[in-house]
Amino acid sequence: MYRALTRAIAPILCLLPVAALAAGPALTRGLTPVEPRVTAPDFELADLDGRRLRLSDLRGKAVILNFWATWCPPCRKEMPSMERAWRELRARGEPIVLVAVNVGEDADTIFGFTARMDLSFPILLDERSEVADRYRQLTGIGTMALPTTFVIDPQGRVAYRAVGGREWDDPALLDPVRALLKGAGGAPAARPAAAAGG
Amino acid sequence: MRSRAAGILLTLLCLPGAAAAGGLAVRSGTDPETGLHWWRWQSADVSVHLAQRLPDQTRAFLLARGFDRASADRVAAACVLQLEIRNHGAGVVEADLRRWRSIGPDGARPLLLRERWEAEWRAAGLPRAQRIAFRWALFPSRVRYGPGDYNWGMIVLGRPPGAHVDLALRLAVDGRPLAPVIPDVECAPDVERLR
Repeated sequence: MYRALTRAIAPILCLLPVAALAAGPALTRGLTPVEPRVTAPDFELADLDGRRLRLSDLRGKAVILNFWATWCPPCRKEMPSMERAWRELRARGEPIVLVAVNVGEDADTIFGFTARMDLSFPILLDERSEVADRYRQLTGIGTMALPTTFVIDPQGRVAYRAVGGREWDDPALLDPVRALLKGAGGAPAARPAAAAGG
Repeated sequence: MRSRAAGILLTLLCLPGAAAAGGLAVRSGTDPETGLHWWRWQSADVSVHLAQRLPDQTRAFLLARGFDRASADRVAAACVLQLEIRNHGAGVVEADLRRWRSIGPDGARPLLLRERWEAEWRAAGLPRAQRIAFRWALFPSRVRYGPGDYNWGMIVLGRPPGAHVDLALRLAVDGRPLAPVIPDVECAPDVERLR
């Protein structure tokens, strides 16, 4: 009885860790819903050409708001997929705006990076980290790492967040953003952003 | 008798593997390109990956961001590791680095986190731009990850180059606490001082 049980279980025990480790890091695709949705803190920042962009001017559109830095490997890794997503959205005329806010670096540093990457979506400068510091309160615990991305619905409320890099042209990410335009997603009432901190 | 002994032996051989499946796996290795060591703890829901950073790497990073040499040396000589935490599961993963400890021959020490460095840099009069760069480069003191979330950042153990420590972690998955220990983590040697 003991021998039979050992023979039956041992191969399973041996294979379990192999299977677990072979699975490796899962493809990162998820967006975490922010519930209840909170009003996205408004801001006005300049882009690399000095043009100023105000978040509240984008009301009526969905906004993918990404915080990043050139020295951050996952930030650099996700940039090509953001560019592909941006070109796809523009080609289809979809009212979704993708904005990348660089945290803590100057225009020369950023330009040296973006020139090599051929990026065409808006890149804003938050040299003093003031906008990023306001958004980190939306993480619920008051801390944030780079990259972190917030998805803002057409009413100006934060609907989703994603910590770490993503493949932004993946339909699994873009479709929930598109659904915000249809009023889908069961949007609960907004509350002031100041109350969102943990 | 012989078959029973064989069964026990087989079970013992498989114990580390079974532990891995239950969330107790620590793997380690060496990057073939850099020669730097790494350690990885993984459960079904969350993984923690640590990699050595040479003091010279940290020096170069900080000097490129306008740090003065003394401040850059101060950090570089304090055992900086690259940390990645990743949520593989369907729940909420939390990590509270304020409760992590490096355990060496002289006992357990807390990590040197963002808040501590910010206070030190302010007292030393380090310019705001450098303080901002350093704060964002360090791993946050607390993180809460939804499914698919992950991040990278530096952690500072406050140990000398070449030190060997066990790193005691504090994590939670959907509120369920986990306290793995990554044994024999080695701070990279300071090659500048070996020249």
